[in-house]
Amino acid sequence: MSNKGREVILSIKHVDVTFEQGHKKKLVAVKDANFDIYKGETFALVGESGSGKTTLGRAIMRINPCSAGEILFEGKRISGKIPKSEDRDVIRNIQMIFQDPAASLNERATIDYCVSEGLYNFHLYENEEDRTAKVDKALNDVGLLPEHKSRYPHEFSGGQRQRVGIARAMIMNPKFIVADEPISALDVSIRAQVLNLMNKLKAERNLTYLFIAHDLSVVRFIADRIAVIHHGEIVEIAESETLFEYPVHPYTISLLSAVPMPDPVVEKSRKHIVYDPSKLDQSGEERVMRELRPGHFIHCTNKEFEEYQEKIAQMEKERGL
Amino acid sequence: MMEEKIQEKELFAFASFDKYESEHIAAPKYSYWKSVWRTFFKSKFTVGVGILMLVLVGFSIIQPIFSGYDPLIAPNVNNPEMRFLQPSSDHLFGTDNVGNEVFDVVWAGAKNSIIIGFVATIINMIIGIAVGAVWGFSKKMDKWMIEVYNVISNVPFLLLAMVLSYAMGAGMGTLIFVMCVTDWIFVAYFIRTQVMIIRDREYNLASRCLGTSTWTMIKNNILPYLVSVIMTYVSRMIPSTISYEVFLSYLGLGLSVKEASLGRMVSVYTPYMNGYPHLFWIPVTVLALLSISLYIVGQKLADATDPRTHM
Repeated sequence: MSNKGREVILSIKHVDVTFEQGHKKKLVAVKDANFDIYKGETFALVGESGSGKTTLGRAIMRINPCSAGEILFEGKRISGKIPKSEDRDVIRNIQMIFQDPAASLNERATIDYCVSEGLYNFHLYENEEDRTAKVDKALNDVGLLPEHKSRYPHEFSGGQRQRVGIARAMIMNPKFIVADEPISALDVSIRAQVLNLMNKLKAERNLTYLFIAHDLSVVRFIADRIAVIHHGEIVEIAESETLFEYPVHPYTISLLSAVPMPDPVVEKSRKHIVYDPSKLDQSGEERVMRELRPGHFIHCTNKEFEEYQEKIAQMEKERGL
Repeated sequence: MMEEKIQEKELFAFASFDKYESEHIAAPKYSYWKSVWRTFFKSKFTVGVGILMLVLVGFSIIQPIFSGYDPLIAPNVNNPEMRFLQPSSDHLFGTDNVGNEVFDVVWAGAKNSIIIGFVATIINMIIGIAVGAVWGFSKKMDKWMIEVYNVISNVPFLLLAMVLSYAMGAGMGTLIFVMCVTDWIFVAYFIRTQVMIIRDREYNLASRCLGTSTWTMIKNNILPYLVSVIMTYVSRMIPSTISYEVFLSYLGLGLSVKEASLGRMVSVYTPYMNGYPHLFWIPVTVLALLSISLYIVGQKLADATDPRTHM
């Protein structure tokens, strides 16, 4: 499937995010991130803890400033300083679902206030009745009851709280949603419920998701395209099925080898592959993103690129293509 | 094998699923302030101290209206028989060196102490909370506010009180001014620290992503979390302000001769302590009861406003 001709909603161009650590000491959390997210897709960002995936998500939310590069939303720059009117548009169009539903809701506010906070800020309602109707509808959309409005967040279960978080984002009618590990803090039994809800809302409202996760099995279920990030660098981007079928980068292979399978026979023979960056090309050549197959990008040097090409050709042969 | 399957089918049936029941919260509705009052009134001791506090404060405010006590008028000053009477049913707290009823003097003094304690605390709290909340939020303001704090907090309080009371003349207005002119910065500093603790929590980040302004965030996300610590601060500040008034008036820096004051009462009566100890002990006891009851009620209210005590 070619990505040409598809409408780009968010474009990340050579973005660096750095944190100052005291005098002249810098921590580069994200290095030269460069990719496009197309309208209507679910783009997943996968990596281990501390790989910079949340930082990149927060850079899009403009919580962390970019130290280099720029982020474009619908063709307009949103990173750095932008006029106030545009800023408000961006806030309305890009919303976030947070990782920890317990920490991301104000414990001293009722659900009514939590959900209508965005409405109050932008005065998106005509009168009190209209606001109530909108809040009721938002709660109903995520499967909660209107009677929950007068309750406080601590009275809810984890899954319910996360759905309040989703309702709060959805009430703004955003076009793009950054979901920062929305299910990693949830009980396994309700993960599917929240994922299905997210998929349902996406279909109904033509949303685009940036789904940040560390759990590849979840990502396979929800994502259209996947970017694998390691130590702040994106190492591989591909369509989800391609990535699972033809993983090329050694780090991706290592990540996939760690996914548990609900099959004891497979589990018994599973070999965990450890990623060893010292086995990569050490010539010192700058690594760049290269297109291995249409839509399948890999972060490598020229020499590595040739190796990877051989590898993928061999894999295709094995699978009778 | 087949038989087992048939049996299973007979044994099990699909349960109906009620969407309403699965989402419904059965626990009774929680209301923050209702729970605060319920927790507060649960302890009999607290209620007892609360009643004592109300009686003391009520007496101090109402009694001077009826007694009409004026420190400049001593109606029995020329009647030696009325001086230094011991407490009795006619003269409840006895009489003092100029023949005034100690009962009238002590409540008039307590009234002024309470007014100063409450007014100074309210002013300090309003200025301190407003400044402290913005101070804690803004990193830019923090840089220079911390310098302002260093300067103001190092001004010796007693020296300032002396200079101001000589420059402006003793009186209630001056005293309240003295109590507020530097004290607010300590409140502000305290609030700043508390705000910084909860400023970067994730729910504030979420509010920012929803476009909430700093001011709304202070009002809805920060201050509701601080009710309990603010109450603790208030419960310490009111008694300490009252004590300070007494202390300054005792030194002659507080209220003027025209105004009744517990502090000056103590200083005037001290010479008669050996012969007529009640003259000394009555104002001191009233002061102690007032301070302690205000402090305990404040502390209990602070405890009750902490939602962790509600369960």
